[in-house]
Amino acid sequence: MEKNVFLRLCREYGCNNNYAFSEKIIPTVREYIKRPNNSKMPVIWLETSDSGDNNIAFMNTTYPYLNQVFSDMIDLFYSNTFMAAQGRDALELLDKTVTAYYGKFTLVVEGAIPTKDNGIYNVIARTKKRCLTALDAVTLLGTAAKYVVAIGTCASFGGASAAAPNLTESVGVGKVLKREVINVSGCPVNPDWFVGTLAHLIMYGRPELDDLGRPTLFYGNTVHKHCQRRSYFDKKDFAETLGDTECMFTQGCMGPRTGSDCPYRQWVNHVSWPVKVNTPCIGCTNENFPDSSAPFFTPLPQKNKGKQVDNQQQSSTEKGE
Amino acid sequence: MSLQKILFSPVTRLSGLLSVELGINDGCIVSADVSSTMFRGFEYIMRGRNVADAVYMTQRICGICSTAHGAVASYLLDELYDNDIEENAQYLRNIMFAADFLQNHIRHFYFFGLPDFVIMPENPLFHNQNCFDCRLDASDNRRLAGHYIEAVKAAQKSHQILALFGGKAPHQHSFIYGGVAVAPTVDMINQAQALIHDIQEFIKRYMLPDTELLSRCYDDYFHIGETPGCFLSFGLFRFGSKNEQVLWKGGVLEGDSLTQPRLDLIQTDISKSWFERDQSRKDGDISPSPYKLGAYTWVKAILYRGKHYEGGPLARMTINDYYKGGTSTMDRIVSRSLETLLITDLLTEWLNRLEPGPAPLKQKKVLVKNQAIFTTDAMRGALLHSAYIKDNQIEKYDIITPTAWNFSPKDIAGYRGPAETALVGTQISSPELKYVIPGRIIRSFDPCLSCATHLLDYRTNSIDQIVY
Repeated sequence: MEKNVFLRLCREYGCNNNYAFSEKIIPTVREYIKRPNNSKMPVIWLETSDSGDNNIAFMNTTYPYLNQVFSDMIDLFYSNTFMAAQGRDALELLDKTVTAYYGKFTLVVEGAIPTKDNGIYNVIARTKKRCLTALDAVTLLGTAAKYVVAIGTCASFGGASAAAPNLTESVGVGKVLKREVINVSGCPVNPDWFVGTLAHLIMYGRPELDDLGRPTLFYGNTVHKHCQRRSYFDKKDFAETLGDTECMFTQGCMGPRTGSDCPYRQWVNHVSWPVKVNTPCIGCTNENFPDSSAPFFTPLPQKNKGKQVDNQQQSSTEKGE
Repeated sequence: MSLQKILFSPVTRLSGLLSVELGINDGCIVSADVSSTMFRGFEYIMRGRNVADAVYMTQRICGICSTAHGAVASYLLDELYDNDIEENAQYLRNIMFAADFLQNHIRHFYFFGLPDFVIMPENPLFHNQNCFDCRLDASDNRRLAGHYIEAVKAAQKSHQILALFGGKAPHQHSFIYGGVAVAPTVDMINQAQALIHDIQEFIKRYMLPDTELLSRCYDDYFHIGETPGCFLSFGLFRFGSKNEQVLWKGGVLEGDSLTQPRLDLIQTDISKSWFERDQSRKDGDISPSPYKLGAYTWVKAILYRGKHYEGGPLARMTINDYYKGGTSTMDRIVSRSLETLLITDLLTEWLNRLEPGPAPLKQKKVLVKNQAIFTTDAMRGALLHSAYIKDNQIEKYDIITPTAWNFSPKDIAGYRGPAETALVGTQISSPELKYVIPGRIIRSFDPCLSCATHLLDYRTNSIDQIVY
């Protein structure tokens, strides 16, 4: 598939073609991988400080389904969630993979990285000699990887794991690595954003990123721009309470400041999204989520009075407007 | 033979991070330390936030059981605001909650449990699999391994039901205090009915026969990983305008004695946990202490009337007389699969009763209380949320998760929690099985360490007494 066709499919948000992108990923990647010198992408996936919601969200991928991603797109050599191996046998695979695919594998990190006390608040594994902290593991593997992909808002920017008062001094992966990190944020991530990013990396390499390191394919427009209830906003017809069918701005909606394609992509086989069930977008893809979205049901101008909100980030996502 | 130490780290195929240290003497496990190695400090994160944010915030504690946290936080807020919940809202709430249960149980059995018993196909995902004790014959093995793919779809469909009504999954949006924000439509209900039909077919055609086959080929596991059978459940699937009824009753079961759980009998104990009490504070607040001597986990011991209790499908099913069996590894696995089928029946019935109409949501605006505690069972056991409120803000928010009960470290008297008890006394019949046997026992509890590390106690006046 030509790159420009792929990009168009990713960006497509017409009513008739909703599934075109995801349905075409597998045949396209399969065809690509069959060509000489091409192969599936070797992946090491580290779970660090998060709720495990991103691996669950990833399991919800449709067209391709989870098993198709494993059979046709990636070779997942290490994953605390999925791998059959356990204990020393699992760590041995980690070592082997780094040696065999040095400079070639993709490191996927799910979760924030605690930095206080040398990262002791998150230990990925223990050996007789040492505790392998998330901080050590990500620093070590980050230099050996071809790409580093942060999945979810915790890994991208710290997220809920770094919310005030952030006792563990947790940060996003980009803060501990001196290299480019591709941030696929969301709490959790929408599986299309993640699988789409993987497909792009496999076939065309690095996708175009916004100034928060996120693929513009999925984060380039605000929720507000394509919201089904935009006409209500324009007519100043606002919901009086949650559960109403009008614009959710009065109910705390973060749509105007949130880069994401939720209104047309939607969730779990593309069936719904928060505004469709009469609740506000809470801005879960944002750099300072959840603190910059809190209180969740308070209108945007009155949110988090007194707490620092990063102005730079607000202006960057508003560009999509 | 002298004492050998086995460091089992990482224990893979579960939610969160877990290491286990085992002492082996003459091939028998004589000591076990289950160690959760991650700390996020959610209780501290909750402080100072608007109380209304509790539903969405606490869901971020756990990805695999997010709806359980959203549910109990909603019940708690309903009490703080004195909301009245419509019947249609309760059906919707329970439909979403049940769908998350199905997702959890299917994924646990196939993604986490299956590679313990079945030789998995060639894929990097399954490299270094230990097949030393995989007992199925070739055709059965091939069939069960193939069901992994069917499980991918059945679990995805379960979350599709949750997302249809909840907006997304994990971390749904519409199950909130005051009722449910979604307006159920005929097409949503129809789609959900088609999905639950498929899921139920999957459970009847694959999951139950697969469970039955494993329980036959591995029948020795009906005697491996046994616990004393002290079970605790807070009850499951709430109904009534004040969330006061539970469909599956809660209880504290010990031998033949079944009593109702009393929250004032719950205690926490940090003697083996990486926390210490802040002596300078009157409320006896605790803070993380990662280098504390003698401690080995971020989970605190949870005690009921001074004893450890086990929660989960086996506890629920036994307390409700849906399952009559033992307390072993295989009993935990079998009761979970049976519970999955029961839940599909309930979900089907609730979808039939659900009336299309406007959003069944009535949120009162004024708090009538400044303190509340609420409970429910979650997928893997008993879950409690408790909040103190001041000026609409959370002063203290405490959470006791199911895995904290099951993966409790030893208490101050040295008594072991359920998972450690299940491990100790087990024979490791061959060095090849040093991870396999403990792995099977541990996973039968369906541990979720993302959850477990978020509990907090409060208002203690002695070392380990907290009274709700």
